[in-house]
Amino acid sequence: MPATDVATRIRSALDDIKSTNLDDPRLMEVLGLAENLVDSMKIFFGSLDSSVHGEFRYIAEYIARTRDEIAALRPNDIQNARLPTAGAELEAVVKDTEKATDIIMSMAEEILEENPTDLDAYKAMIDGKMMQMIEACSFQDITGQRVSKVVETLTHIEERVSRFSEVMGVLDAAEEQGDEKEEWRKENLLNGPQLDGPATGQDAIDALFDGDISDEQLGQDDIDSMFD
Amino acid sequence: MAVDMAMPILVVDDYKTMIRIIRNLLKQLGFNNVDEAADGQEALQKMQAGAKFGLVISDWNMEPMTGFELLKEVRGDDKLKGTPFIMITAESKTENVIAAKRAGVNNYIVKPFNAATLKAKMSSVIGDF
Repeated sequence: MPATDVATRIRSALDDIKSTNLDDPRLMEVLGLAENLVDSMKIFFGSLDSSVHGEFRYIAEYIARTRDEIAALRPNDIQNARLPTAGAELEAVVKDTEKATDIIMSMAEEILEENPTDLDAYKAMIDGKMMQMIEACSFQDITGQRVSKVVETLTHIEERVSRFSEVMGVLDAAEEQGDEKEEWRKENLLNGPQLDGPATGQDAIDALFDGDISDEQLGQDDIDSMFD
Repeated sequence: MAVDMAMPILVVDDYKTMIRIIRNLLKQLGFNNVDEAADGQEALQKMQAGAKFGLVISDWNMEPMTGFELLKEVRGDDKLKGTPFIMITAESKTENVIAAKRAGVNNYIVKPFNAATLKAKMSSVIGDF
């Protein structure tokens, strides 16, 4: 029973008691105080019920909205289809490039090993090897398409996660500590090739020679100057 | 003093293709005595087992022992510390180059590189050939 209904019923009970013409004034005084108390409680519980109800309603709406947003993310589709497909595409890219590299290098090695005593036969051999190297380069078309699919998947995920984050007002939590192997990697391994290559600006060179160590990149020429 | 073209060279990289590329480049430069290791640990084991190398050419990013750790191990070992050491890596952050130089690397090559660069760096370390 809501608190406001309880207060109303107590108030009604008090009115009934008062109407029975009780003689003791002290009892009437107690009843009067009880009436005042019930009125105060009714106002208090009334506001409390309303605010609690409002809060619960807000929470329920928030949960419903979160559920809708998570559904819009299509997490099962991402987990079961898109990510495995992207992973398989990347694995195929690695295999394709490895295979092509192996073919090209093998052809080059065989050419380097060849002794050109018979020039006609040597030219025919070179032509054949070169053709195989050209054919092997066709991997680029296929890997390009595979990488495009992966980029598409990443863009799809990025868009949905961004929208989810924006709608839900999500703030990044502190980064979790990885396992021991992951921590070792962070500490010891470099990040690998940069997207813009190892080109160096004068600022980086100046910073280096001024003793101001920066994160700028050095190119081969700049590194050479350190060892010359 | 003339460079001993028959000297053993240790190439350390976890990518077989890169080892193959460096092997071929070294062969074109006239060095045929090339050994290989897939990471710093394997390289160090070979060196500590008594194999004497006239030059170590090592990648940085390898597990479980990086090229940088290998360099420090080599420089910290009385028997090995004089071995010429060239680092080859795809990344060239200033602090990493400086850290490698302070640890005693003789030269540093940024990937991708060509035969001319490899020859120039090797010449600066072991002499002209």
